[in-house]
Amino acid sequence: MEQKDIKVLIVDDEVALANTLAQRLQMRDLKVGTAYDGEQALAKLKIDKPDVIILDMRMPGMHGMEVLREIKKVSPDIQVIVLTGHGTDKDEEEAKRLGGFDFLKKPADIETLARKIKAAFQEKCERKG
Amino acid sequence: MKHENGEDLRLLQLQFIGKILAGFTHEIKNYLAIIKESNGLIEDLISLGKTSQGDSEQYLEITRSIEEYIEKTNNLFRYLNRFAHRMDSQLATFNLNETLEELIALVTRFANQKKISIGKDFQEDIPPIYSNPSLVQFVAFSFLHEKIKNLDNNSKITIQTAAAENTVKLRIIPEGNFLKGNDDSPSITYEKLEKIIKQLGGNIVQEKEKETLITLAMNSP
Repeated sequence: MEQKDIKVLIVDDEVALANTLAQRLQMRDLKVGTAYDGEQALAKLKIDKPDVIILDMRMPGMHGMEVLREIKKVSPDIQVIVLTGHGTDKDEEEAKRLGGFDFLKKPADIETLARKIKAAFQEKCERKG
Repeated sequence: MKHENGEDLRLLQLQFIGKILAGFTHEIKNYLAIIKESNGLIEDLISLGKTSQGDSEQYLEITRSIEEYIEKTNNLFRYLNRFAHRMDSQLATFNLNETLEELIALVTRFANQKKISIGKDFQEDIPPIYSNPSLVQFVAFSFLHEKIKNLDNNSKITIQTAAAENTVKLRIIPEGNFLKGNDDSPSITYEKLEKIIKQLGGNIVQEKEKETLITLAMNSP
């Protein structure tokens, strides 16, 4: 599979941030969609079938950790990268325990984020064999 | 509200300041991330060679967004600065609406987590009062935070102010279902809040539908 086939879903309640990040990742040949809260993200799982989800933690309604738990229950194959402005070491541990691929703090470097997405996708492909 | 066992008011006030700072830094981090990404997007458009003459509108849109978030950052800093200076002196002449406005700006993040909206219904020409501004904010925050904690998602809280004779009245009106919150952070007891307000020459009444009415003397004794 080529890089342009990687489907990414950005989940963040900051609409401007989600949209700008989406544009920047699209410029790096990724297919990117957005959701602005946890409920929307879960609804998009079945329709968009993302490979990698970039997930904020503190959002209105469902907390990111609940969303991560739900994603892993419904679609364990999907890789989740947490991108938060509020992460503590405890949050990072919890996210990894729930199956999160990586834990980044805002503002993240775009090239680092793109690299993590590719690594997450690669691991997903390897797991599938 | 919880029953206290000789809990320290100063500790609770510190927790209040800590909460305000946590909400503030979270919001600022988000704004800075948006500014950084917007700036990065301009860089990408130029360096990845994905520009054409028709892109000027997109550039303008990005710079407008950067300006908007710099403005939002600046406003939030202004509120935090004013909030910090409320503690400069124990007694001061101040406008209740202004102290509540900055409190609302600084706690909106917590309300947003539960999609709870905070509305203002302020008497515009409310006279200034002579009291302890940081204690007034602390009491208002305690009731507001309690309601945010215990209200269901998508509820509403209205903060109303009005002047009457030699007092000003602050009413916190929740609209929505009350649930038992999961937040275990310590809350100050109603009795202690009542004691603080009494010291400032006022009183607190818990009204129908969990409304809270705080009456403050215009001149603290």
